[in-house]
Amino acid sequence: MKTLKYLVIVMAVFAIASCKKDQYYLYNDVARLQFGPDPARIYQTSYNLADTLKPYTFYYEDATVKEDTVFFDIYAIGGISKIDRTFTLAQEQLPNALNATSGTHYVPFTDPRVSKFYVIKANTVHTKVPVILLRDASLKTTTPKLKFKVVADANFQVGEINNLWRKVEFTDRLSQPAAWNASFTQYYFGKYSVVKHQFMINTTGDKWDQTFIEAVYADLSLLQYYIAVVKAALIDYNNANPGNPLKDENGELVILP
Amino acid sequence: MKNLYIMLFSGMVLLLASCANDKSNYDYAPKENISITGLEPNYTVISEKDRLVIDPVVSTTDPDAQLEYLWGIYETNVQGYAPVLDTLAKTKKLDYAVKQPAKGWVLVLRVTNKNTRYAQYFTSGINIVTEFTRGWYVAKDDGVQTDLDLFLTPTSLVPSSVRENVYSFINGNKIDGKAKIMNFFSSYKSIVTGTLGNTKTLVLVTDKDISAMNINTLKPIRTFNTLFFEPPAVKSPDYAFYGSQAYYVINDGQCHAIYNMSSNDGRFGARKMKDDLNTPYHLSKYFIGSSYSDPYFFDETSSSFLSMSMGYGPVMTAINDETGTTMSAKNNNKTVLFLGFKSATYIPAPTYAYNTVGFAVFQDKTNPALKILSELACVTTKIKITNDTLKTTDKIYNATNYTLLNGDENIIYFSVGNQIWSRNLSSKSEILQFTIPAGEELTFIRHKKYTETGYAYNYVMIGTKSGANYKVRMFNKSSGSLETTPAITLEGKGIVRDVMYMSPTVNEGTYGSTY
Repeated sequence: MKTLKYLVIVMAVFAIASCKKDQYYLYNDVARLQFGPDPARIYQTSYNLADTLKPYTFYYEDATVKEDTVFFDIYAIGGISKIDRTFTLAQEQLPNALNATSGTHYVPFTDPRVSKFYVIKANTVHTKVPVILLRDASLKTTTPKLKFKVVADANFQVGEINNLWRKVEFTDRLSQPAAWNASFTQYYFGKYSVVKHQFMINTTGDKWDQTFIEAVYADLSLLQYYIAVVKAALIDYNNANPGNPLKDENGELVILP
Repeated sequence: MKNLYIMLFSGMVLLLASCANDKSNYDYAPKENISITGLEPNYTVISEKDRLVIDPVVSTTDPDAQLEYLWGIYETNVQGYAPVLDTLAKTKKLDYAVKQPAKGWVLVLRVTNKNTRYAQYFTSGINIVTEFTRGWYVAKDDGVQTDLDLFLTPTSLVPSSVRENVYSFINGNKIDGKAKIMNFFSSYKSIVTGTLGNTKTLVLVTDKDISAMNINTLKPIRTFNTLFFEPPAVKSPDYAFYGSQAYYVINDGQCHAIYNMSSNDGRFGARKMKDDLNTPYHLSKYFIGSSYSDPYFFDETSSSFLSMSMGYGPVMTAINDETGTTMSAKNNNKTVLFLGFKSATYIPAPTYAYNTVGFAVFQDKTNPALKILSELACVTTKIKITNDTLKTTDKIYNATNYTLLNGDENIIYFSVGNQIWSRNLSSKSEILQFTIPAGEELTFIRHKKYTETGYAYNYVMIGTKSGANYKVRMFNKSSGSLETTPAITLEGKGIVRDVMYMSPTVNEGTYGSTY
């Protein structure tokens, strides 16, 4: 009986001692670096993986434009510092893909033109990472991909594994803007094709680039207006070309839902 | 011994679990109550002119109460943002110079007992108005340009004075074209107050322009050239109206709409297509429309009825035949001499829709001598048409102007020459109701009614012109027939085309929207 009594006491002690809050890994051991969404979105979990891929095209730019800059948001974690802290980025080769060539398709990450901006300023934890894309002649016929990642250095270790990289797909041809996303496809203009995109541009006289689509997307009545205009123009085109309706670059019928 | 330990252990567990703070309320005093008198349910005041002076008598069941007061005001009919309570005073007596924009507001009085922190709220509706928000509006023209006369009615429906040509007086110009029809939008989106919001808007349509004007100021919010994302190439407005969550403008027989339950800035969209082949169409100026349901249009090209679901989407809805119809709603080879709204009755589960009833006078395209008076029962996308072929001896056979009694007796009014007749739509009996005096010429007839306390009316309006002057006789009805003399007669200069009584409580569902 004595044994039972001791057993109950010991179990109670163990039970109490075992209650301990789980210690989450807070990444506060050393300074770390990782990409993230726009600062306005950092507390919205649905945007955690926003901007991982940014498409870009020189198509809309004047022929005199030879380069352009794409920006990404990067964050230091583990607190602020009283001094400026540089960081390091490097290209990562994608298997079975047309990888961008440093110096030909983009300004190398080590080039001072961009590397001088790869700094987390004192008392801050965020900056914009510029990536300068070059308008190489090959972009008229190809769409190379540039994947780059955070590299550990003296100032920063890498952060959360899912947020260590970003990617740019760029070309000098008409291409699918990021804003032509799954929702835009499903509810408004249907599957993307270059032919459909060009038809929309020709019909409305508008660019239908990232900025324009974002603006239209923010105003449902304006979006409805453009859907009606493009749909009517597509029907009129097909009516004017009996037996030869508008088809896209893959031979599929151009359809607006 | 073992059982004793187990029992002791279990007993302790139960004892521990049963320990709880007693949070019961042992205050048996009666519930405190604060009441007031001297606060009316509604006030109507003129912005930048009137003061709200209210000194309520307050009583409370707590004899030791120390009361404090807070007066506030917030706006109604907002969309896209949350209204904020604006503090007006912290005294028992309110004496406040009204400066809010004209629209509906709610006045709030909070009375708090400082001893117990018990507070009670009291509210009143505040109609903030301007000189333009009450009176009879008359849409008139001189054959070339349109203007408005406003008959002021400060104390009753009988006008005390008139502001002639008030539109051009305010704006410095008239509206191009001959006046056609007026309608009212309660929730039309504009930025007239500096913020995008619902704006009470009087929409005046002429045959060459449209003016959507802020009823508080009579200044145009948009005209034809700014009313669309892209103004139509042909400027030939037919009508503008509200129907089931959407605003519509019909121009040159083509339908444009705003789905008003989503963000918009008051501009109308692209021309709606008739079908997925973009088949040409031309809508009649007559239609069945009300705030209850989607509109029912008549395409004169194909002789088919069409609808539009809440103004949304690029393609209109084809109307199908309901079982038992005596004439098809599609390709029926007819034109409409008249089509209008009569009544709407809600059909509960499982239909959950209105039965919208209208009447039409059809004329056969092949045999113009064939005219039919038809009842149309419209439920969602189906119409049941019940025909009554007119005899050449029927007075209505040669009618030129028509109006249905909106929601009232089953009667249609029409004109033959200078005579106004009625026809009972059930018994088919026709009665001469009024003969327009020699020298006058009919310009419109319309039935309108309104139910505001002190300003209620139910009139058949008969507009005439004589030389350069107009006269609108507004008759009460008795069992569907006109009384011998008009209740009110409005007179002025020009050719009258439409009349609407405006007040702060008129909304987009108050009047029928059809010709």
